[in-house]
Amino acid sequence: MNARNETVNAERALPARPGEPLDEAAEPTTVELIDAYLRDHPGGGERLIPLLHRAQEHLGYLPFPVIRLIAGRLGLSPVQVFGVVSFYHFFTTVPRGRYQLKVCMGTACFVRHAGAVVEAIHDTIGIGVGEVTADRLFSLEQVRCLGACGLAPAMMINSDVHGHLNRTRVRKLLQGLRAQAKKADAVGADHE
Amino acid sequence: MSETLPATTLDRGALAALRLRLAAPLRARAGEADAPQAPRELLVCAGGACISCHSVAVADALETAVAASRLAGQVRVVRVGCMGLCEAGPLVVVSPDGVYYQKVDGDGARRIVEQHLVGGQVVRELELAAEVPGGERLTGRRVPFFAQQVKIALRNCGVIEPTSLAEYVARDGYLALERVLFELDADAVIDAMKRSGLRGRGGAGFPTGMKWQFVREAPGDEKFIVCNGDEGDPGAFMDRSLLEGDPHSIIEGMAIAGRVVGARQGFVYVRAEYPLAIERLGQALAAARAAGLLGRHILGSGFDFDIEIRIGAGAFVCGEETALLRSIEGKRGTPQPRPPFPAQQGLWGKPTLINNVETWAGVSPIILRGAAWFAAIGTARSKGTKVFALAGAIRNTGLVEVPMGISLRTIVEEIGGGIPGGRAFKAAQSGGPSGGCVPAAAADVPIDYESLQELGSIMGSGGLIILDDRTCMVELARFFVEFLVEESCGKCPPCRIGTRVMLNLLEKITKGEAGPADLDTLESLGRHIQRTSLCGLGQTAPNAVLSTLRHFRTEYDAHVGEGRCPAGQCKALLTYTIAAEPCSGCALCAKACPSGAITGEIKHVHTINQDLCIHCGACLSVCPTDAVQAV
Repeated sequence: MNARNETVNAERALPARPGEPLDEAAEPTTVELIDAYLRDHPGGGERLIPLLHRAQEHLGYLPFPVIRLIAGRLGLSPVQVFGVVSFYHFFTTVPRGRYQLKVCMGTACFVRHAGAVVEAIHDTIGIGVGEVTADRLFSLEQVRCLGACGLAPAMMINSDVHGHLNRTRVRKLLQGLRAQAKKADAVGADHE
Repeated sequence: MSETLPATTLDRGALAALRLRLAAPLRARAGEADAPQAPRELLVCAGGACISCHSVAVADALETAVAASRLAGQVRVVRVGCMGLCEAGPLVVVSPDGVYYQKVDGDGARRIVEQHLVGGQVVRELELAAEVPGGERLTGRRVPFFAQQVKIALRNCGVIEPTSLAEYVARDGYLALERVLFELDADAVIDAMKRSGLRGRGGAGFPTGMKWQFVREAPGDEKFIVCNGDEGDPGAFMDRSLLEGDPHSIIEGMAIAGRVVGARQGFVYVRAEYPLAIERLGQALAAARAAGLLGRHILGSGFDFDIEIRIGAGAFVCGEETALLRSIEGKRGTPQPRPPFPAQQGLWGKPTLINNVETWAGVSPIILRGAAWFAAIGTARSKGTKVFALAGAIRNTGLVEVPMGISLRTIVEEIGGGIPGGRAFKAAQSGGPSGGCVPAAAADVPIDYESLQELGSIMGSGGLIILDDRTCMVELARFFVEFLVEESCGKCPPCRIGTRVMLNLLEKITKGEAGPADLDTLESLGRHIQRTSLCGLGQTAPNAVLSTLRHFRTEYDAHVGEGRCPAGQCKALLTYTIAAEPCSGCALCAKACPSGAITGEIKHVHTINQDLCIHCGACLSVCPTDAVQAV
């Protein structure tokens, strides 16, 4: 996903997130997290990227109120901070799925047909790269080499690497996860 | 040999005592010396790829099995860094016997303990072995994959516990730093770096000693040392393995340079995609600080030096040095025009010495063993060794360190074990997206910085993707250009617009819509981009296209002139048919076909209606009997 696409996606995602208008303030816990980091790490604008990492680690993504807050704390304009956020692939302004699929598009995986893995994911759960399923169960990204070239083609689901993939394995893997999530939700509902 | 260091700082005497006590057993572990009296240990590869194959569970299973046997308490399981042979992971080595076990699982772990350790019998079915011509069965370190390597940068990877300061010290770790602090003057160190002939291992190959001298001579009371660990090339994972497998070697190299050029602060820039490398480097930094090897007044010398980790955020262009420095400053990682070079004006405008991870790892051996020793390895202008990441259509995927000047054929056929599946070796792609393809016909050329450049490729960081005859070179060029279109930072038009136009042309070619004039446009456009781009990313962006045009022109011609993809990869140019003989009439293809082009009765031969076929290839991938053919 390049920077331009990411902006478009972010804009598209905005109306789909009711309860989070642009002007809303960041959560108090997020404010505390950011202020604590700045207290512990005195310095200037070079703290921006570590701070964005910290905030995304905490929230899963970087909503606009947080971008605005960070900009204010560091004495930067929000657009400068957004410029940094959109420049780096790792940062996202869109929430990701419960299962984050990261398909390796490194050369070794490409040579061993990683393209078919992306197609199979699309055929099974209907999302393309940079998208999230409507139920926010899955999100799909491409990454540049997981360093698991011996397992090519490979994909990371959250923190687990799955290797030697083909269409059938991808389909079974995703269907398995969907069933697992359904089961977990059902168990959770029973307990409530 | 579980070593826990005292919480107090170490002095030179304590370091010497540690080396005296632990050096011999560790040499035995590395296979450098016979030491039958060395303690029995099980080394488990805890490198990134082996962990993905559940090597951590294997290590746990080994510990459980040892604890349950009569050897309980006598055999230690050591989680070491990457051993290199990722294809055979998880790897387990019985030391000091030097027996390697491959693809070990929980059951295998129990058998290694019961049969080998307790019973004294090697588990033949799990043993790593290679049949060589003449029928001889080679095992352990004698398999060609290991036997042909010369390990300098990777000297400790797979030998020591990565974050154990004691084990690193025992391998003469921090001895070079001691020499630089107390015995050698700065000019002597720079002179040694120059005479060694070490060149930057990040790709450009600039002489390291000269760079050090520029920074030393640059005026300014504040200078910085930076380690470039933003290993963005897909297919390259040597920096990752070094940071994960031997982080102290990077710290030591940087501290030495800090002393020599007069810097007190260093930064290691690591990709966010490498959480394990970040974790282990962080542990190593903390251990070095606690021991007094970093921080104020190092070893009582009066020299202050410390290192911070900076985590990247996923931008390929940040591997370019000026972009990386901008990123450390907290900005968008866009490259800057050079001059001024970072040696004059780097981080926050101060003189900055930036080297790649692998370069840093090579510093202390040169100081300890001498420039002449290093310069004796390699070719006339490229000295020492280079780490390559072997991947793609090759039997032994993994990490290898070989002398400069080795031939591609030796790497592919002997170390790499050849091409699997009876396919033919077609080309090797070196240097990642900025690199090019070396055809099989040039496989006997000695590899160094110059020879690769003459072939239209670059050394790059050392990714080496082996391609077999099923790889379409046009499609491969398209893949790399697509990568670069997305990774171009957008600052200069030749790169931003030029790579996009190249991609459009390549897409036309792979769809069979291009004419002969498009190939000429592609070539001249590529030359323009090379000449006019601001940074290394743009200047090398056309390499994949130009090198494949040069070496595989006939393949481009087949796409353009005949509408045919000789490798059978460009889907739009393929015609799908179902052969009657193997077709079992299972109807899976008909179910998979999104355009309803396949018809037929169950248990009878199916057929594809070419007018309806959209060339998606779904039938090909689901057919259980290989009856679907694409030509």
